[in-house]
Amino acid sequence: MTVVGIGLLFGVVTLVVMFSGMPIAFSLGSVAVVFMYFFMPGASLDTVTQNVYEEMASITLLSIPLFILKGAAVGRSRAGQDLYSALHVWMSRVPGGLGIANVFACALFAAMAGSSPATCSAIGSAGIPEMRKRGYSPGFAAGIIAAGGTLGILLPPSITMILYAVAAEQSLGRLFLAGIGPGLLLVTLFALYAVYRYRLEHADAVRAFNERGATSAYLDDTRYTLRDKIEMLPRVLPFVILLIGVMVALYGGFATPSETAGLGAILALLLVASIYRLWTPNDLKPILTATLKESTMLMLIIGMSLLYSYVMSFLHISQSAAEWIVGLHLAKWWLLAAVLLLVVVLGFFLPPVSIILMTAPILLPPLKAAGFDLIWFGVLMTIVMEMGLIHPPVGLNIFVIKNVAPDIPLADVIWGVLPFVLLMLLAVVLISAFPAIATGVPTLLMGPATAR
Amino acid sequence: MSHGLEVPSHQAGPVPPPLAPLARLLAAVNRAVLAVSMVALIVAAGVLTYSVLSRYFLKAATDWQDEAAVFLLVGATFLCGAYVQSYRGHVGIEAVAAILPESVNRIRRLAVDALSWLFCSFFAWKSWTLFYEALIDQQTTSSSWAPPLAIPYGLMAAGMTLLALQVLVQLLSEILVGRRRR
Repeated sequence: MTVVGIGLLFGVVTLVVMFSGMPIAFSLGSVAVVFMYFFMPGASLDTVTQNVYEEMASITLLSIPLFILKGAAVGRSRAGQDLYSALHVWMSRVPGGLGIANVFACALFAAMAGSSPATCSAIGSAGIPEMRKRGYSPGFAAGIIAAGGTLGILLPPSITMILYAVAAEQSLGRLFLAGIGPGLLLVTLFALYAVYRYRLEHADAVRAFNERGATSAYLDDTRYTLRDKIEMLPRVLPFVILLIGVMVALYGGFATPSETAGLGAILALLLVASIYRLWTPNDLKPILTATLKESTMLMLIIGMSLLYSYVMSFLHISQSAAEWIVGLHLAKWWLLAAVLLLVVVLGFFLPPVSIILMTAPILLPPLKAAGFDLIWFGVLMTIVMEMGLIHPPVGLNIFVIKNVAPDIPLADVIWGVLPFVLLMLLAVVLISAFPAIATGVPTLLMGPATAR
Repeated sequence: MSHGLEVPSHQAGPVPPPLAPLARLLAAVNRAVLAVSMVALIVAAGVLTYSVLSRYFLKAATDWQDEAAVFLLVGATFLCGAYVQSYRGHVGIEAVAAILPESVNRIRRLAVDALSWLFCSFFAWKSWTLFYEALIDQQTTSSSWAPPLAIPYGLMAAGMTLLALQVLVQLLSEILVGRRRR
């Protein structure tokens, strides 16, 4: 059988098995094993488990459970609500400040917890009712939280980025730093939109009041004193310290990324133990169970995806597909657009971990040949996958929002989220036009990238 | 990310009487393994923290910490596989399942479980042979600390065996429950 034939068969079999509803980890593993049996030397089946172990036994990959532990510790405490309340008080004088406070709270929480859905539920459970109480339309309130939550996989430490760094053989430290600029860009865009939308809705409320005397919660004016503001600080500072401490440990050269994960997890556990008194075995059990549930599921997908990519590369499927794409001689930006479109479509069905590990061997060589910086592309790919978290049909964050605020109709949530999807698209265009938004911070702190 | 894929795809079905003792035993083992893995997780985080502190304050060489953490985390991952499967927490693409009529869907579920069981059993078998070879040949990792590879291989083999058993109980339950309904 030719490489093309095997490649097509490999693709079709994968699709059939995956869509049968078999768990992703087992589907990838069994497709790999079956193709090893038919198309690879007999001895390769004997080393299949060794193969999986060797791919998985990297401390960079295994920092993932520890980053999840850090997020679970912060996420299961009241930290989210406290962070949100503090920002709310501090931003109360700014027009649309409540919306901005929600965006900032999402960004900060996402940076600590590293999880989109956890951010949506932690900030959303306090933020959505508060925004609605103040007259924000339900769709707008839901949109802010759904979109704010996606910042979790862009701001360091992001698990998606850890996988990309491993798959693309790029420096994890650089990649984390490259996420900061685009993360701030998105925070700014989201906040500006929140102000704009606030003004529209506020003007509507004023007009309704003038015309019909209809009162709206929008017109209430709550003011907080400086004392209120200062009293909120002790609740937020520890988490800001955690965030900064982890960054300093990583970029000050004190710790490797994986050590940072361990350190961050221990610090987060100490913080929730001292501030929220979560330290008995009964308090810790839900945190640890949630961590093990999620990390086991993810790590098995990762291990089997790596086996799958190994088979794909042994059979020359990925190389041939990559050569074929290069051979198309697409103009540079068409190639990028096509690749990103493919990522969007895959995002309808697959979690980002599988998308990265399955497509990296095929997509990255042509992009590199076209002269794209792979760190920069990693950031773009991450933003595009984030969009998958908030657009239908899968849109995981949308469903988290439905859980937090069940009375908001799904259609309202989706319409509320749409402007944010467009803003993310705008960010992709801006980062393509000005790559320095992503590559600026790593170049500044770590020097220019060396050719790999 | 995490991507919060912790949402279980569907709940585990009922267990018919003949399988109940095995299912109870598995549940007990899973609970014990979960507790051990919780400890492993915290110890791994502690070991890496110690690594940072000892290098900075004691200027000590950090040669064993990364590997120790790898062993602990690999062990926890594979050992908890069966627990996650017990509530069907390994995510799959459920798009097709949602539109199939129940009679076809039942066959699909059986086929999926049977294939999953075959794969996990194969993987468990190959992990045990790997473990056995590592034990006999006294294989170690290539680092200066050189711990025996039989440890992680053994944990992987035990975890995959548990997982295969868990899938088997679910597969047999599905078959037996379906028969009684007829």
